[in-house]
Amino acid sequence: MKLLPWLHAFSVLVLPIFLIGIIQRTKSIWAGRKGPQLNQFYYSLRRLLHKTPIYSDTTSWVFQGAPLIFLASVFTAALFVPLFPGYVPVSFSYDFVFFAYLIALGRVFTMLGALDTGSSFEGMGASREATYSALIEPAFFAALGTLALLAGKTSFQEIFMALNDSPLTWAARSGCLIALFILLQVESSRIPVDDPNTHLELTMIHEVMILDHSGPELAALEYGTAIKTTLLCGLIASLLNPLTSTEASEKPLLGFAVSMGLMIGLAVCVGLIESWIARLRLRAVPKYAFVAFWAAAFSLALLLIRGECQ
Amino acid sequence: MALILFAILLLLAGAALALTLPRNYHRAWASIGSQSAATLITLIAVVPALFNSKRLETVFQWSYPVSHIAVSVDATSAFFLAFSLPFTLLGTIYAFGYLAPDFEKQRHIGVHFALLNLVSVSFILIYTVQNALVFLLGWEVAAVSAWLLVIWEYRNQKIRFAGFNYLVSTHLGLLFLVAAFMVIHSSTGAFDFASFRPFWGTPSVLRNVTFLLLVTAFGLKSAFFPFHTWLPRAHSAAPAHVSALMSGVIHKAGLYGLLRFTLLMGTPDRWMGWFLILFSTISAILGVLYTVAQRDIKRLLGYSSTENVGIVGIGIGLGYLGLYWHQPTLVVLGFSGAILHVLNHALFKCLLFYCAGALYRSTHSIDIEKLGGLIKKMPQTAFMFLIGGLAISALPPLNGFVSEFLIYSGLLNLNIPDLTSKSALIIEAAILALVGGISALSMTRAFGIIFLGSPRDLAIEYHGEAKRSMRFTMALHSVGILVLGFVPMAGISLVRRPTEDFLNLLGESPTHSDYLTQAYSGLAPIGKMSFIFAAILFILVILRKFFLPQAQKGPIQHPTWGCGYAAVNSRMQYTGASFSSQFSGIYRIVLFFLRKEKLPKTPFPESGHLNTHCVDAVERRMFKVLGEGENMILNITRQLREDSHFSFSLGLAVLLILIGLVINTTLGGNS
Repeated sequence: MKLLPWLHAFSVLVLPIFLIGIIQRTKSIWAGRKGPQLNQFYYSLRRLLHKTPIYSDTTSWVFQGAPLIFLASVFTAALFVPLFPGYVPVSFSYDFVFFAYLIALGRVFTMLGALDTGSSFEGMGASREATYSALIEPAFFAALGTLALLAGKTSFQEIFMALNDSPLTWAARSGCLIALFILLQVESSRIPVDDPNTHLELTMIHEVMILDHSGPELAALEYGTAIKTTLLCGLIASLLNPLTSTEASEKPLLGFAVSMGLMIGLAVCVGLIESWIARLRLRAVPKYAFVAFWAAAFSLALLLIRGECQ
Repeated sequence: MALILFAILLLLAGAALALTLPRNYHRAWASIGSQSAATLITLIAVVPALFNSKRLETVFQWSYPVSHIAVSVDATSAFFLAFSLPFTLLGTIYAFGYLAPDFEKQRHIGVHFALLNLVSVSFILIYTVQNALVFLLGWEVAAVSAWLLVIWEYRNQKIRFAGFNYLVSTHLGLLFLVAAFMVIHSSTGAFDFASFRPFWGTPSVLRNVTFLLLVTAFGLKSAFFPFHTWLPRAHSAAPAHVSALMSGVIHKAGLYGLLRFTLLMGTPDRWMGWFLILFSTISAILGVLYTVAQRDIKRLLGYSSTENVGIVGIGIGLGYLGLYWHQPTLVVLGFSGAILHVLNHALFKCLLFYCAGALYRSTHSIDIEKLGGLIKKMPQTAFMFLIGGLAISALPPLNGFVSEFLIYSGLLNLNIPDLTSKSALIIEAAILALVGGISALSMTRAFGIIFLGSPRDLAIEYHGEAKRSMRFTMALHSVGILVLGFVPMAGISLVRRPTEDFLNLLGESPTHSDYLTQAYSGLAPIGKMSFIFAAILFILVILRKFFLPQAQKGPIQHPTWGCGYAAVNSRMQYTGASFSSQFSGIYRIVLFFLRKEKLPKTPFPESGHLNTHCVDAVERRMFKVLGEGENMILNITRQLREDSHFSFSLGLAVLLILIGLVINTTLGGNS
């Protein structure tokens, strides 16, 4: 299938714009508004790309380089995250370890870019981001380690392809689903961890780190975050995909369609959660991150008690 | 072997010259020259052992009580020699710039350089001899020369105290090592490592005790938790190159000892593997937690050493389990990861200490809270610190990630035989991920507060970029980090032969090289992806150039957004303490803060202060016992005396247990 690489490229480059649009539209509809059109994010990015950036006097090359390194790390990560069953450009053993650390590299540079401005707001945002992401890291490893154990495989693609349909697998998957969903909320700064629409600097996490970025660099950061959200949605969609591996490899287009449906569903879920509940108090976020770890550990314990893998 | 002997003589001659020559510059050059020659000669001698299976062996006849000294360089020795000597040489070159202010004074600088030569001599002794007595001699030479190097600024009482603290701790370690050798000697009657096999290679209670003694001794040397208390003090007191060499190179001798005795042991018990993993995990996590709260950059780096030896220990423990389970893949991944991390840690930790030294020479401060905005004043140091910081947080595409990736792929391996162990090691991987995340937080904090933003203390004067010899050393370390990061196979080629020796403990077999190749093939994509990342970054930089000229005037300069507040000053920036306060709040059980506070009580302005200081929980407890121990024991005994039945039965119980242990041990030793 020569089409598949193009579908992957589409999912990485174009889908993020629509996923963000779907989240926004869901929130608008729930709030009783009509809401922006689904590709509004594209127009925002295009507008930002044509703007002249403003640099603070305090900043150095780190401030200008950070968005690019962040975007590069996300693009590289996109090469080995399966967004639909049956195809991924690069796949190697323990690529999920590489994924986690690559995302961490991008995050570290976002934080350094924030600290480079010397603003206390942005230092605060960086501090929060560092704290929460350090706490969520074990959850990702526990979840992927459990899935790898369950599937008896070691790369994203193989793990998701090898999961079967037994009740035990689905029980273990659900624990990992909770872990990955919380990871999605932390990493892409959504409610209840962070509110992307808040207007007060003191309550922000991600938004406050990029306060001083403008123009093309802001576009790079926004676009990178949207792609990161898509990648994590793609992981969850692959986890939930009910197609068996033979079905997926025989009919990749069906797999693609199911994955797209799941990702759109996830975006709607994210939007609904944002509409329904308020964000957590900042002191409660670490506990929420621990919930993710315990959910994954619960799956692991389940396997241990049943004493079997696939 | 004659070459290595010649290298020792050269180093000693260099030390003698450094002590006797009349001018400070000549003394320093004598040391650098002799070290360069000795390093070159040693490398020529050991490189064949590192890449081929050639093993250098000699026996020197000696007088009573030693009788003979066996000397041998196998792949593991060659590996440690091949990085220790060049790194010490680079440290000496750095010292040339770092101690420049002392050159002008009427101070005899030769002593310092002679001691650096002696450190190299001790490496050759420790890493080559196969005799317990000479091993102890090398151990002691390293310890005493390190101590004398630490107290270079001996007029400062605090530095003398830190040095004394180190001296006591390292000799406590020596006591444990001597005890272990005594136990082994009493069972085998030999000082030769090769003769240890009959005792050390068969499971027994006494071997378990010896193992614990050795782990304590080597743990004290390498500063595993809770034996780390001397380390932050010593590192913060010593000159930068001495801290760097101690942390990166000298204390790797402890890990070498552990590896050497593993090679002598053959198949370890299962509990040893789990014990090492648990012990090292505690080191890793508590070490990295303490880095979060430090103000002094060198203390921070010191605690980070405890973290990194913990990571190495996890690798070794994994290798132990692999040996026990007869799983060649685990043996390869565990030991390769551990040995490669030793080298990687030496690279980035030395680099970071050298950068800290450059900071100190430029600002006369290593207090994170007082610095700021240094990236503009010292762009090169800043860049190299950033490389070191990213590498130590194990971020790709730098070298720290490669060795941690090996350890991760061991922990999450499918060849682990039973489900319980698999689950335990998955949780272990999650803990290692937490350590990585905290380390990234800590290094972001250190780099962000020191180099970014604007200067926090206006009283500090900046003397510009570091001296050229210092930057030379730092640049070489940075290049090493980049090469080993982008070309993982370069590091693998260095650790392949040492790992093969560990694999041979499972019994020689021609299939071993297949296992090695197979395990290492997992790293090839890492190198490829690193290059892809660099290529994407390059394209993005070009694209940025393409987008920016479209703006008519080029970028606009403006003050940082202050939320409408116009009177922003540099004291309002986020500080190191505020950066880590939320995180350290979560871990306040282990991160013990001393607080001195007088907070305002009324809504109106009044004078007040808040002073927090993160103290080491272990050290605090230790000093408490040392200072008030008599009273504590007195209190306990006073309570006991009041209840004589209780104390009598307790004493009887202790006596019975002791007798039982003695009988068990003697019977176990005889059978």
